[in-house]
Amino acid sequence: MNLLPFLISGLGIGAVYALSGVGLVILYRSTGVLNFAFGAIGALGAHVAWQLLQWKQPLALAILAAVLVATAVSFLYGRIFAPMLSHRDTVVRAVGTVAPALFLIALMGVIWGELPRRLQFPTDQMFLALFGVRLTYTRLIALVLAILMVVAITLLLNRTRLGLDMRALANDRDLSAILGVRILHTETAAWVITGIFAGLAGLLLADLVRLQGTFLTFLVIPAIAAAILGQLRSLTITAIAGLSVGVAEAVLTPIAWISPYRAAAPFVIALAAVMILGSTSRAALRDR
Amino acid sequence: MNANLSTISFREPAMAAKTARRSPLARLATIALVMAVFAAVVALGANAFWLSAATSAVALSLSVIGLAVLYGQLGLVSLCQFALVGVGGWVTLRIGHAFHPPFEVSMLAGGIVAALVGLVFGIPALRLRGLYLALVTLMLAGAFQTIISAWGFPDGGPGFLGRADGAGRAMLARPGLAEGPIAYFLYVCLIATIGFIIVQWHKYAKPGRAWALIRKGETVALSSGVNVLTYKAWAFALSGFFAGIAGALLAGNVGQLDGRAFSAFESLNLFALTIVGGSFHWYGALIAGLLLRAVPALLTDLGIDGYVTIGIFGVALFHALATAPAGIAGQISGLVGRLAKLTGGKRA
Amino acid sequence: MLKTLKVMAAGLALSLLTAMSAHAAASCGDGSGKAAEGEPIVIGAITGKTGPDDFSNSTKAAKAYFDCLNANGGIKGRPIKYVVEDDQWNPETAAQLGAKIVNDEKAVLMVGNSSYVECGANAEFYKKSGIYVIAGVGVPRECFFAENYAPTNAGPRVSMLGAMGYALDKLNAKSVACIGPNIPNVGTWSCEGVALLAKEKGFKADVILMDPGSADATSVILQAAASKPDVIVLGMSKGVAVPLLTAAEEQGLNQTITFLSAASAYDLSVPATIGSGWDGKFFVNMEFNDLEADTPDNKNWLAVMDEYGQESDPRDTFAQAGYLAARIAEKALMTLDPNNITRETASAAVRQVKDFKSDIFCAPWYFGDGQPRHNANSTTRMAVSEGGKWKVVSDCAPSPDPELKDIRAFEATMK
Repeated sequence: MNLLPFLISGLGIGAVYALSGVGLVILYRSTGVLNFAFGAIGALGAHVAWQLLQWKQPLALAILAAVLVATAVSFLYGRIFAPMLSHRDTVVRAVGTVAPALFLIALMGVIWGELPRRLQFPTDQMFLALFGVRLTYTRLIALVLAILMVVAITLLLNRTRLGLDMRALANDRDLSAILGVRILHTETAAWVITGIFAGLAGLLLADLVRLQGTFLTFLVIPAIAAAILGQLRSLTITAIAGLSVGVAEAVLTPIAWISPYRAAAPFVIALAAVMILGSTSRAALRDR
Repeated sequence: MNANLSTISFREPAMAAKTARRSPLARLATIALVMAVFAAVVALGANAFWLSAATSAVALSLSVIGLAVLYGQLGLVSLCQFALVGVGGWVTLRIGHAFHPPFEVSMLAGGIVAALVGLVFGIPALRLRGLYLALVTLMLAGAFQTIISAWGFPDGGPGFLGRADGAGRAMLARPGLAEGPIAYFLYVCLIATIGFIIVQWHKYAKPGRAWALIRKGETVALSSGVNVLTYKAWAFALSGFFAGIAGALLAGNVGQLDGRAFSAFESLNLFALTIVGGSFHWYGALIAGLLLRAVPALLTDLGIDGYVTIGIFGVALFHALATAPAGIAGQISGLVGRLAKLTGGKRA
Repeated sequence: MLKTLKVMAAGLALSLLTAMSAHAAASCGDGSGKAAEGEPIVIGAITGKTGPDDFSNSTKAAKAYFDCLNANGGIKGRPIKYVVEDDQWNPETAAQLGAKIVNDEKAVLMVGNSSYVECGANAEFYKKSGIYVIAGVGVPRECFFAENYAPTNAGPRVSMLGAMGYALDKLNAKSVACIGPNIPNVGTWSCEGVALLAKEKGFKADVILMDPGSADATSVILQAAASKPDVIVLGMSKGVAVPLLTAAEEQGLNQTITFLSAASAYDLSVPATIGSGWDGKFFVNMEFNDLEADTPDNKNWLAVMDEYGQESDPRDTFAQAGYLAARIAEKALMTLDPNNITRETASAAVRQVKDFKSDIFCAPWYFGDGQPRHNANSTTRMAVSEGGKWKVVSDCAPSPDPELKDIRAFEATMK
């Protein structure tokens, strides 16, 4: 059986999982918050882009607006609401982000409803033909964007003061505070960065998959699988894991007996990795 | 038995301080009393709509009490509890349609299988803690979501999956002594009460002290001679058992279950509401059950749009998390405590 | 100068508008324009609004018609109180709401129901309670295999086989891949019909069941295309069909394979959403008449929507179904003594409905008294996507579903 077409079709979704996973990890490392609202924030941005395109605004403006709205929502939650839970344990802080997710689902449902929508980019029509499958430029862009973002964020972490602060927070929060790391400032920056990731991922998913609030919100769960594979620490491993998970899911499609269960691939892979690596991983033993 | 229980609770200083004036037996009796009053009020006052919503709410509160054992007692987070409810429901329907035994037999089978699955799901917990454990259980819930949406729930068909696709779907019969809606509601309340009492008894007895020690730190527990592995495993099995029973009771309420209602996000939601309800008091579970089913029913009844309901839920969730660390039950308990102090002070 | 021009234009538009609305005055009830003021008759409905897709257009249209009826004499002076509930695609909620409508609201009838989960959860309960349902949009098999439940639409299976029949007769298809949702008694039921027909007529059929929540439409499409079928038939709701078509177009499959769909993708917005790449390449089955048909009852439907519905209510095939269900209920209730409308008398009146004619239907609708199941609408049309619109390409044709034998036999005895 020829699996190559499916491999190529999985690259697009894989790239978005990678992008989402990295967005989740960068926030978690700096703030200790796992953001369940990541998908919902991206979906909101995508809806805004769709609305602007309906109003005949230029594509560039729509994309910019989507990322800005996603970033703004992420910033607002991170600056105003997240600190209210900062003294609670990590799980409660993560569960707190279910609240904005639900709120955004409601907002999108009331404003836009659940109608068939499609966010279209001109790049959907352009493609490279590989092994009898068309790799659209949108998928290619998703792939390149994922790589670029990982490189950019790695540079930021390694080369800038902000990055140093973020790494310090990730290592030891209390010690960093004593050493004079501006915690609120650094955390807010992390929320802004994750918002940008959410906006971009949302736009790509709305094009590659479909534009539907609840659906895009729930796609955060497979992205968490990628983050787990990166042990909630490593950006590079998370990105590679996201890509592989997306590809694995697609490649299982033509195998008849496993095809109905292929959506479970991200979770099963993450579970297997935890079982094998679990006891040795640092993240497993740390409470935050 | 009685004497044994009270001596245990006096040996535990933290517990003794809290329950100084009331013996554990009295506390267990309180549970029965409160549940009896609750059941009577609902059964006499509610119309068909509310009765159905309340039945689901009480059934789900059993799965919440299971979660509360893990989180409230051991500080462990499981984000796959709703998946275990699904496992219990699946087994109940499977057994019920295949052999048509009395409802109680299918229900117990559902509870036991869910307990075993819960035990397996708990294996990662032997090595993991905190958010990492939570996410691993979320992955389990995600995997279950895929499987159950591919399998669906048995509805009287042939084969292992028991699916009657393309033929008439059968409904699961309710227990013989509780076929009507009111009788079934009382039946569910009775089982929930038994569940609450079992969990509360655990807190006073040996497992409760072992759990408290494990929560303090596994080395502490080990050095005190507690078999950490056994007690952790027991907590997971107990929690899974109650989730399974809840699934069986839900299946009995409607007669069938729907695969799409068991998404990973539901498990997340269940955990969130467990915290909001309060995981340190038994009635927190009842409150969480009502929040899960009765509050949406209220909003539906008021004619509020389904999306607005979701939004209100989101806002309420955050508010409760931010303002009530011990949940609504914690606030009630604090209020009762203050009132008791006031009246006690007056008497003195 | 510019100002006067503007005023003139506005005046012209206004007069055109009044002319049009005068032309399309909604007609319902006795047409007296007198509001009904008697004791309300309670009619219930359950619809799936919040969830993966919004099915509430059926009840919105039924509500518009009942409002129109209430403003025009009602049922011999008694208005209708229409209680609509949203089951949120959850059978548990559907059961709660069924109990509410039947036992608490004491509805005499249910009209315009449209849900994926309600039939499965409530069909037996309705039978036990002796309440009858004239549904708008029935989806799973249970809606068409219940004694008390009669939908106005054809259903996903009959509709899908209508599309399949067209593919066989007009597109000379020799092989097909059927894509359906893995939802109990929807996808398997529909695609099994295609497989059954394939066995009877000797063509090749592949069945692919997909999780509607699956993210990766491209893989599903590649899987369907792997066996190189002549046509691919979709049984997905429009929200899932559109991404599947998008993915197919990305892969250039719209050039080599013809796509067809059951009526669930028949929505006016779909041709524009999928774009010009699908012109003449995507056919859809229609359970009812062309949404823009210039026939009296269809025009009346649109007029009722304009006058009594919200502007935002979609004018789609679900809305036609709800409108028809409301009209059938009106016809049944009008046969009764207004002082004696109870669940029993209303049920008896519904059972007697036959030869209900509307140009929105292909064939007259009937309830089928004493039948164990109801599927009166089994004759459908086809349309093709062209230039951002649907173009009707076939006359009414009976669906070749082998499972309809009992229905056809009963229809023969009626004649």
